[in-house]
Amino acid sequence: MQRKENETPQGQAASVLVEFLEVAITAVVFLKGVYPSGFLLPSLDSPSSMPFLFFFFFFLLLLLLLLLLLLLLLLLFDVGKGAFERRRYMNVVVQRARHPQLRYYIHATVSGLLPFLQKGMVDRVAVVFFNTDNVPLEKFIFKLTVNQSYGSSVEGVDLQISLRSFLAKLSVSESLTKKLPPDCRWEITGNFQLLPETGTSKEANFWIPTDTKQWEQPLFITPIRSMSSDPLCLQFYIEHPSLSESSVL
Amino acid sequence: MDSRLSNSSSSTHHSNSKKRKKNATANNTNQKTLGVAWGSKSLSASSCSSRKSPFSDFSSYMAHKNCKLQNQFDSEASASAARKPIFSGVSIFVDGFTVPSSQELRGYMLKYDGRFENYFSRHCVTHIICSNLPDSKVKNIRAFSAGLPVVKPTWILDSIAANRLLSWVPYQLEQVASNQPKLSAFFTLKSSKMSEDTFTNALCQVEPDVQDSFPRVGQLKERHPSEVGEMVEVCRQISNESNDISSKKTDVFMMEEPIGERVICDEEKLAEANSSETNNERNTEGELDPTYQEPSTSFSIPCSDNQNVHQFPSSEATGSSKQCHSTLTDPNFVENYFKNSRLHFIGTWRQRYRKRFPTLSTGLNNGISNSNKSDIKSVILHVDMDCFFVSVVIRNKPALFDKPVAVCHSNNSKGTSEISSANYPARSYGIRAGMFVRDAKALCPHLVTFPYNFEAYEEVADQFYSILHRHCNKVQAVSCDEAFLDFTDAMVEDPELLASSIRKEIYETTRCTASAGIGGNMLMARIATRTAKPNGQCYITPERVDDHLNQLPVDALPGIGYVLQEKLKKQSVNTCGQLRMISKNSLQKEYGMKTGEMLWNYSRGIDYRSVGIIQECKSIGADVNWGVRFRDMKDCEHFLINLCKEVSLRLQCCGVQGRTFTLKIKKRRKDADEPAKFMGCGDCENLSHSVTIPLATENVEILQRIVKQLLGCFYIDVKEIRGIGLHVSRLENADTSKQGTEKYTLKSWLTSGSASVEKQKYHMGHNKHNSDCANCASSHGCIHSQGSSFQIDNKILNIHVSGDPISTPPPLCQLDVEVIRNLPSEVFSELNEIYGGKLIDFIAKGKGKCESSSSLGNSLEDDAATCKEEDLPYSDPIPLNQIFSENKAMQHERVLGSGHGSCSQVTHNSNIERDDLLPSSLSQIDASVLQQIPEDLKAVILEHLPAHRAQDFCSTPAICPGRINQDSVGVDTSKNCPGTVNHALNDSLWAGNLPSWMDKFKDSSCLRKLGEIYHRSGFNSQLSSVLPQFLSEFHHLDLTQEIYDETVNIMCELLKQYVKVKIERDIEEIYICFRLLKRFAVKSQFFSRVYNDIFPFLQAAVDDNYGGSLFMP
Repeated sequence: MQRKENETPQGQAASVLVEFLEVAITAVVFLKGVYPSGFLLPSLDSPSSMPFLFFFFFFLLLLLLLLLLLLLLLLLFDVGKGAFERRRYMNVVVQRARHPQLRYYIHATVSGLLPFLQKGMVDRVAVVFFNTDNVPLEKFIFKLTVNQSYGSSVEGVDLQISLRSFLAKLSVSESLTKKLPPDCRWEITGNFQLLPETGTSKEANFWIPTDTKQWEQPLFITPIRSMSSDPLCLQFYIEHPSLSESSVL
Repeated sequence: MDSRLSNSSSSTHHSNSKKRKKNATANNTNQKTLGVAWGSKSLSASSCSSRKSPFSDFSSYMAHKNCKLQNQFDSEASASAARKPIFSGVSIFVDGFTVPSSQELRGYMLKYDGRFENYFSRHCVTHIICSNLPDSKVKNIRAFSAGLPVVKPTWILDSIAANRLLSWVPYQLEQVASNQPKLSAFFTLKSSKMSEDTFTNALCQVEPDVQDSFPRVGQLKERHPSEVGEMVEVCRQISNESNDISSKKTDVFMMEEPIGERVICDEEKLAEANSSETNNERNTEGELDPTYQEPSTSFSIPCSDNQNVHQFPSSEATGSSKQCHSTLTDPNFVENYFKNSRLHFIGTWRQRYRKRFPTLSTGLNNGISNSNKSDIKSVILHVDMDCFFVSVVIRNKPALFDKPVAVCHSNNSKGTSEISSANYPARSYGIRAGMFVRDAKALCPHLVTFPYNFEAYEEVADQFYSILHRHCNKVQAVSCDEAFLDFTDAMVEDPELLASSIRKEIYETTRCTASAGIGGNMLMARIATRTAKPNGQCYITPERVDDHLNQLPVDALPGIGYVLQEKLKKQSVNTCGQLRMISKNSLQKEYGMKTGEMLWNYSRGIDYRSVGIIQECKSIGADVNWGVRFRDMKDCEHFLINLCKEVSLRLQCCGVQGRTFTLKIKKRRKDADEPAKFMGCGDCENLSHSVTIPLATENVEILQRIVKQLLGCFYIDVKEIRGIGLHVSRLENADTSKQGTEKYTLKSWLTSGSASVEKQKYHMGHNKHNSDCANCASSHGCIHSQGSSFQIDNKILNIHVSGDPISTPPPLCQLDVEVIRNLPSEVFSELNEIYGGKLIDFIAKGKGKCESSSSLGNSLEDDAATCKEEDLPYSDPIPLNQIFSENKAMQHERVLGSGHGSCSQVTHNSNIERDDLLPSSLSQIDASVLQQIPEDLKAVILEHLPAHRAQDFCSTPAICPGRINQDSVGVDTSKNCPGTVNHALNDSLWAGNLPSWMDKFKDSSCLRKLGEIYHRSGFNSQLSSVLPQFLSEFHHLDLTQEIYDETVNIMCELLKQYVKVKIERDIEEIYICFRLLKRFAVKSQFFSRVYNDIFPFLQAAVDDNYGGSLFMP
């Protein structure tokens, strides 16, 4: 809540947004199940995890002699706990990555956006899931507009409530998304309105062009949530290729 | 330009686990950011449960956890410096989402000496903090809050700002605080007024009915002239008694009773007289006499209380189409149903018993504590009348004592009525209770059947109990004909002698025989009675218990029914002796703890129950599953209203109020045929829904509302309903729950007001008749024929009413002549017509008289006006504020003031529109008043303006919503350009705070509707929130109205522009709107055209902005 008073409204909005994006991107990654969501503590309401559980215990019995090794593995690599843990953000339950590198990747990427966000250069931020051929399968897109001419101060609470609804909606929109193949990868991309010149600033060097291919076919959009307030206007939607393409893949 | 950059690498499923090593450097990137409460709470919860828990069960775990949380809180609190004890003694529990968040509130509590509870407990928490509650919790606020205040979080913030603890009352959650009735409740007075409507309707029907039945009465009188008068007397007395209890509410009800009763009396008379002859003759007479069936509209049938012989047989035997005993034909079905129900008699008997022997039944409790002394040999006597229902009926007919006799509703030999009781001669033919009459007649062709005689049952039961109470002070009533007596303390020498003396006395008083069993406990006494029957007695001494039980079949034990007996049979257990072979443990394993123990005990003659314990009833209700047939929803609702009345009466009788209401419905199974039993329920599914309300009630109106709502939950075709039951549970004593607060609620004030108005209304009508007697003698003479008693009533009422400052509308005869004279001519002629042309005379003659009386009326009016002002300080005493004066008393005043359609309110035409309190034209609304009333009230009023009025409203410039919106540019422009649609299709349809399309569309009827709905919802709301409502309303229009191309075009244009406005910033809104449209396109041709027209445009717009097309699943 504590903000520096001398910040511009755009700056305030951007820093709230950065924070929000970090949580939201984690939520998306969690939603898509790219990382294991914990099989020592499986959520019993999802039946798919049950066979795995049984298998695990069966395995445990068979390799009784190797128990020590296994325990060591568990301790070292946190295999059993899954990649996420429940936390609270803006008074809503969210997931946070447990692995430091994953957490760092998301955090660093989004923080890297901050200066550009403040200047209103970022058009959209996307979480792209793609297969081994670098063909994207699904994109979660945050399309943002930061009103540069907005003068008055930002009401933190209002913004918080609006953003909170994104998280709430996201957590129940799994049915809108597609099932991913097992071997998929993901990345965070930012679409800039104009290319930041390399070398001009330290932040700009941070960014590299993406390898992922573009879609050839027309794409479909499934909106999840929109928010339009001043100075921040945010649209969150899913892009996926037309159905014909996905069946070919 | 668009360029794409990606940061850092990506991680895959497989490589992930290898990378996971403790990375100390990465941990440094902890965030310190806004609103982040990566709280410790959830973390600890998850890690706790993952380990092997050291707690035995959940409750000990929770106790431990709570303790730990408290310690944590305490240590944190002591650590925080500079505490100001603002919240000392306050302990909050935060429910759900709040602003500020629960973590912040916790921080405040830490800082200012309060407490914060993570888990709700009635004992620790003093305030519940929340900013929003789900509807279910609001409905059941008591269960949620346990009576604690539910306060908004701003209370805490404001208290901190004020540096002292503020009163929480102003901060109470609106949802909870505004539990009182809303304004809208009074515009749609449907549910509450329904009953009164039916009463008045019934009253209107009285006239023809009475006329119809009187000749018949006369005819009957000729036949039995000597007895008629006497019987009428008796019956009237009875009816008066019953009325005293039941109809406090309206005297209208009271008035219709005596008339009806008179009719019954005669019928009853006939039956009585006939029954002194032979039965068969009487029955045939009942069947043959057509007058019993003919006048069955509303009065003759409902009132045939006790002698229901004539009803069934004829309709069944002749197969006549006139079945008066389904819900279809009998408007008072519920009432009659319970009048004729034996089970109902038994069920409600206890209530009467307790009223009759109040001291005796309560005095028992003292004795109970002593009865556990084991050294005294206890003596329990069980007395049971022999085939009570039969023997009472034939007690005055000694000739029938040794003939087979049975009691049932019908005596048609082909009938499907069930035999409810048969005497011993009949039982020897194999006739059993529950058998159809036709089967019984087949077994025993000369079986004599009788109908119930509930009065006699009551009388005999009372005699029976007064004898028992005379002999013993410890009596436990089991049923109306069965009781346990405890003689342990009485030190009886010879129990057998005592039993025989009691039996003798019973026989002499009631002329019915009773059997008695004596044993060491209630079980043995009961078993003894079984062997003693009929008309005998049996004493099982403790020594003989084992012998007796050894050969006793298991099903003779109480508590062993058919199912249990079958199970035991499978184990080849047929007698108690065999049962005793089985160990207690295996019994309990097989049949459950309680049943097992019971079996074990009972088979050994052990019974720990003591005489005199009366269970409080847990629920009260009424079920009807015979004769229930509905044609449509109206039938069903009417039936439910009566059922509610019945249940409400029962609740009042028991002096309790309930909170949980359960509606049970028997629904005919899909493949079920018409049941074998005439009008029975047949093969049914049982469905039930229940609801719990915060405040206990027995109010019939509330009941009706709840029931209506519950019925809605079923989504059932009323034609399929075969039985309905309403049960009330969570009972509370009416005296304790009726606290002062309830008495002074607006609701009770209003209902009392409206009730008295109702009375007054009749009074006025009646007075009018008196004054205009000369004019209308011919048509209204009938009312005067029984008018004398009314007038007395009215006078009493008059006194009562004038004592009541709220509801004193001047009677019609005091109408101001000036007002009537100044009425518009068409209104006047209408009035005149209703009054049968008397109005002209009235004006001509009564001027002088009315001058004086109108002054009285005025003073009353003033009274009412002041009352009103106290309640609604923001409304001015100008015509509009009559909208707020929900009270019906005010209604009359308004009628006088505005002189508009007043007559329809006071005449007893049955088609009175009561929800029509609003002025019928907008000219009666003062726009300036409307401007000044609060927003929410205004919304309610607008909402309740009927459709045609709302249109007026929208188009009336004086009160145009433009005033509400400060920015009236859009309005002005739209007003300037004439409302031609073609001209209107420019780009600015959605511009301005008040979108200009609203005015443009006035010409198209269906789109005007959209405008209205949009208007009602407030102008800034999004189309998606308005659309569903419009679409559903449009659905009705669609059928009747032709769809013009133009309308489609307008709609398309409207949507196009909406898309243009929203596409850039709110794609979600567009998405929702179009999914709705698509859904409705399936149903409505209009919308399918609109959707098809607009869809390409939409996709193009999305493509422009987002580079893709919208995915419409």
